[in-house]
Amino acid sequence: MKRQGYEHWLWLPAIVAPAVMPATAYAVQYLSIAQAQQALFPGATQFAAIKLTLSSEQKRAVEKAAGVRVRNLALSAWRVSSGSQPLGWFMLDEVLGKHEYITYAVALSADGTVRNIEILDYRESHGGQVRDAKWRAQFGGKGAGAPLKLDEDITNISGATLSCKHIADGVRRMLATYEVALK
Amino acid sequence: MNKKFRIGWLPLATGLTLLTPFAYVQADENLLNYVTGVETQPKGTWEFYQWITQRKDKGIGRYEAWDYETELEYGFTDRLAGAIYLKGQSIDTQDILIDNYIPKDERYSYTPSGIQVALKYNFLSPIKDGIGVAMYIEPSWSWKDPHSGQDKRSLSLETKLLLQKNFLDDTLVWLGNLGLESTYARRKPIDDLPAGFEWVTDPEMELELTAATGISYRIAANWYAGVELLYQSEFETEVNQERKSLFGGPTLHYGARKWWWTLTWFPQIRGGGEEYPGQTDTDLHLIEKTKQEVRLKVGFNLF
Repeated sequence: MKRQGYEHWLWLPAIVAPAVMPATAYAVQYLSIAQAQQALFPGATQFAAIKLTLSSEQKRAVEKAAGVRVRNLALSAWRVSSGSQPLGWFMLDEVLGKHEYITYAVALSADGTVRNIEILDYRESHGGQVRDAKWRAQFGGKGAGAPLKLDEDITNISGATLSCKHIADGVRRMLATYEVALK
Repeated sequence: MNKKFRIGWLPLATGLTLLTPFAYVQADENLLNYVTGVETQPKGTWEFYQWITQRKDKGIGRYEAWDYETELEYGFTDRLAGAIYLKGQSIDTQDILIDNYIPKDERYSYTPSGIQVALKYNFLSPIKDGIGVAMYIEPSWSWKDPHSGQDKRSLSLETKLLLQKNFLDDTLVWLGNLGLESTYARRKPIDDLPAGFEWVTDPEMELELTAATGISYRIAANWYAGVELLYQSEFETEVNQERKSLFGGPTLHYGARKWWWTLTWFPQIRGGGEEYPGQTDTDLHLIEKTKQEVRLKVGFNLF
């Protein structure tokens, strides 16, 4: 007698096929690094790349100041200037989204406060609003020691709470990194 | 053989596969299958879920049952979500006779067995409030007994307190649930029972307490691995505690931008209470439960 139940496993193709599709197929790159640099520093003439790896002491100092873990010791930063006039720093970073990393950039003025941020890659289903100019503008003028907490000085976006929190945490970490390693 | 109708699973599976690239967003993603998280569907969005659970092995005869839940969830607000479920089941039980529980051999494919609705309200977010708290309420009506496969009218109301705490930049998630389900049920008489077989058709009331917990850790981009435990204790109005069981097992979760799935292997670890005559596994509850469960849940956001 034919055994009942075999047909249930025909669900497997529905599971396996999409799972083996590369997740990056859904990645959306909104800006390249060069485009983000121009967007954040429209008048700049030079972006000088700085290669820097945080020491374990610097890592601890950043974690203590920012209150978040440092996952990557390598720092991607550019010193920005217009002619002989220093404009600030361009820092590239990644934070965890719900499923994958969110790539974003922080622009710091010469005095070490945030000019603005840009989202380069955002791969999450909800929360594309983190790219909105109004939401990003909240970071403007923030310096080391600013709370950068949801519902305090950064508004939350419903359905994208995790992305909002991790970006705010990331900016706080970048500000602490500037104080510890770049200033 | 009580054969109702059979769904073509191959076309359905293929359809889902083809649908996947066009499915849109996901939100109330289930990292575990038996323990519920506190997140709700964002306002104005829909999500489609398909659950499929295999229950197998009572220690005697042959027992294999499949439960299906097809669910549609909608976010009324960013804190309040509602869902409607169509439940179905199939069963294959042979050479098992247990007074008042399994009256005869039964074998049928997919048969609709009940409907339920649910409301979930989120009070606190684990991401920004430190700990997540939500309440869940779920009335249901069914017309098939999932254990024997026989006709049985049941009206249930389940309420659950949901807790969630995130650690390590939200890559490690702990979930905890406490639930109470009350059920009013009445079996339908069966004509061709063996002589002397007990099959009570008077209305019965049952209370079930549930405690569940689990953790899930992000092991790689898109992938979570975890473990979950479910303790259930059943009380009937006249006999106090009837049965208890503890299930537990590993869970694997895959979440992409547009859809996700979660798979749990869930054997019964301990159990007790009523036993059937001749039961050898005396540290398990096998009158209604089984030794093994496997559950797969797939979620797609629609709009």
